[in-house]
Amino acid sequence: MQVQEVLQAAADRVAASVVRIETYGGVRRTLGADEGSDAVGRAGSSRMEEDLLAQLFDRADPVEIGELWRQKGLAPKDTPFEAEDLRQLGDAVLDRLLRKHQLGPYRPKSGAEREDDVGRIGQGAGFLQAQGASTGLVLSADGWILASRFALSFDPTTVLVTLPDGRTFTATRHGEDTSRGLALLKIDATDLAVPELADPAAVRIGQWAFVLGRTFAPRGRPSVHTGIVSATRRLFGRAIQIDAWTSPANYGGAVIDARGRVLGLAVPLSPSGRDAGADWYDSGIGFAVTLADIGDVVDRMRTGEVVHRAWFGVLLAPEHLGPGAVVTDVAVDSPASSLSLLRGDLLVEFAGERVRNAFHAQILIGQHLAGDPVEVAWQRDGVRHEATVQLGAVPFREREAVTRSDEVFEKPWEGDPPPGEGEEGRR
Amino acid sequence: MSAGNAAFRGAWIALFLQLPVVAQGGVFVERAALSPVEKLVHDRLPSVVKVHGASGLKTIVPYASGVVVSEAGHVLTLDLVMVQSGQTRVVLADGSVHEAELLPPEPNLGVRLLKIDPSRVRTPLRPVSLSSDLPENGTFVVTLGNAFRLAEYGEKVGASLGVIAATTEPGLPLRHRLADVRYEGRLILTDAPNNPGQYGGGMFTLDGRFVGLNARVLEAVETNTLVSAAIPCADLIAYVDRFVHGRVPAVVDEGDAPAAPGYHGIRLFDQGGRRSPPAYVERVARGSPAASLGLRPDDLIVRVGDRSVRSCAEFDEEIARFAAGAEVELTFKRGNDVRRGTMTLGEARR
Repeated sequence: MQVQEVLQAAADRVAASVVRIETYGGVRRTLGADEGSDAVGRAGSSRMEEDLLAQLFDRADPVEIGELWRQKGLAPKDTPFEAEDLRQLGDAVLDRLLRKHQLGPYRPKSGAEREDDVGRIGQGAGFLQAQGASTGLVLSADGWILASRFALSFDPTTVLVTLPDGRTFTATRHGEDTSRGLALLKIDATDLAVPELADPAAVRIGQWAFVLGRTFAPRGRPSVHTGIVSATRRLFGRAIQIDAWTSPANYGGAVIDARGRVLGLAVPLSPSGRDAGADWYDSGIGFAVTLADIGDVVDRMRTGEVVHRAWFGVLLAPEHLGPGAVVTDVAVDSPASSLSLLRGDLLVEFAGERVRNAFHAQILIGQHLAGDPVEVAWQRDGVRHEATVQLGAVPFREREAVTRSDEVFEKPWEGDPPPGEGEEGRR
Repeated sequence: MSAGNAAFRGAWIALFLQLPVVAQGGVFVERAALSPVEKLVHDRLPSVVKVHGASGLKTIVPYASGVVVSEAGHVLTLDLVMVQSGQTRVVLADGSVHEAELLPPEPNLGVRLLKIDPSRVRTPLRPVSLSSDLPENGTFVVTLGNAFRLAEYGEKVGASLGVIAATTEPGLPLRHRLADVRYEGRLILTDAPNNPGQYGGGMFTLDGRFVGLNARVLEAVETNTLVSAAIPCADLIAYVDRFVHGRVPAVVDEGDAPAAPGYHGIRLFDQGGRRSPPAYVERVARGSPAASLGLRPDDLIVRVGDRSVRSCAEFDEEIARFAAGAEVELTFKRGNDVRRGTMTLGEARR
């Protein structure tokens, strides 16, 4: 059989389980604004293209401009406003005006032409979330649907799921797994087509990986992007890495093998701790969260629980080559501090495994979810101590801080804060 | 979307190369055979040309690609800004340079025919005909074009491999840099890389069909990602036929002004503000088309016809496409039910 036929047959086998997700309402935010892109933004500050500025000036009401001008505290003008004057209003006001007049979000022009940036996503102070339809995967015949958190991160008031046969349902949101970028939905349907899940342990590097999406293909065969498995057991054993294109056009879609078995779900994860989606898009690096091995997590999500990656709260010294990992700092109010761990202690065992070195400890911690009870053993002055502790979730402020510090090994890599932990625009 | 992934493409080439023998002139030759990709490139590369145009402005890329579509010297390409009368040249696969005459563009799909003088051509032209097929998702395609003007002077254009991801419905919302782009046609989306210079190049299936003309790289509004796409040849046949074969379409678009939007009787709960809220119904006029459809206050309108409307503004935009007398299907959510209904729009009220 030709590869093309294999590919199309595999896609068709899963097609009925790949659903379209549409959202209504909610607060769309700009994601991924960080210091790196801010630098680009600053360099290009108020450098809007002439023709766009002219368009905006045409649409804006002079009275409105005058009002903004006064609010900004600028000196009154004797002459009528000109397009060029808009620059004086600053980036934030320009952004508001552009959106209001349906000219899109304001992205300061950078030095390089975006087109020539070989597929880089929009430059500027952050990345606007995708607004279009997203993709989900049927988990069970009675209406449990798995989706990417990316599609729901702006808290839509209404979520609709449309099956490939055209039936549309209102979905209720259940739990989430921030460590995997997953969200669980439920629709009131029966007899849904359930896909076959591939065994994550049997996935080999180099095998085919096809990504299916519904954003641009609502009915029939989903959209198809092709690639191979680049690596297995990535992101603390939660995902496989693929080289097919993943983007908001197929996040939440099934990643399948050549026989139409589901290897995982395409999600915007990144190991850097920044909001994923922008930074890894179109890089030849995509992640598919494996599903066959997370039944217990799905069960927790069914009850509405939001699970997070575990946090222990230690800084570990990379220069200590092991065995064990030397603690260089302990976070306040962390699981580690509750054990009275101190700087200089040697972490020797974590969750029943011997700690080989600082990097190994980071993996051991990262594999767990917040709330997991683990046994920890450490040495102080040659004396061994043991205790059981319940792991926590990374406090959001700290997550921001730790991504800027190379000393920290417990780098978080999921994007959003847990609910209620003080993020602007989220209630 | 244009970053390649070399490892995967390498794997492909290896795979296609595994065909052991080939029949050549009735004789089986034991040597590395042409893979389907190689054969396609061999057959179609001579039909793809480089197009050089007007430059001057920094933002205008003065080069593109084109496809030879007639022995009389017609070249199909995009109607880019750089395509200017008196300043457009076509470089054939044999490296020869020709002045190009500009024919009228296709106004809705943004393509244009160029014409070179066939009497000045040394190597015979290798025209390809436009395929009326729209291949399925997952079909392998090769795109041929002069990406980033890497092919200097007499060098040949390059090839990229990918699959057709999907073909969109007409009217996918698109942006170029910050400005919205009006494009009402369908687009073939692909994971083959597309880049400046490749615009106007050809997209071919492995069996040699010319199925698409490389579009500009634009940004999809819905995903905020760049899209690598081609304009379906199926949608360009009428335009090409008209100039190449002198066939005039039976129905000429008179381009009359659109009729006034019809009356529906829905008032949405739109308090204005920075972002247009979801299209919740505030009031339905008594006896109106919407009332006969059964729409009620507090229903959430989610679709007009096949198009999703996520806000009051999107609803207004979509419904304005329909004139009095038009039948419009609305999909709306009441409580947890998703319902559908059809209404016939009335005459607009003054």
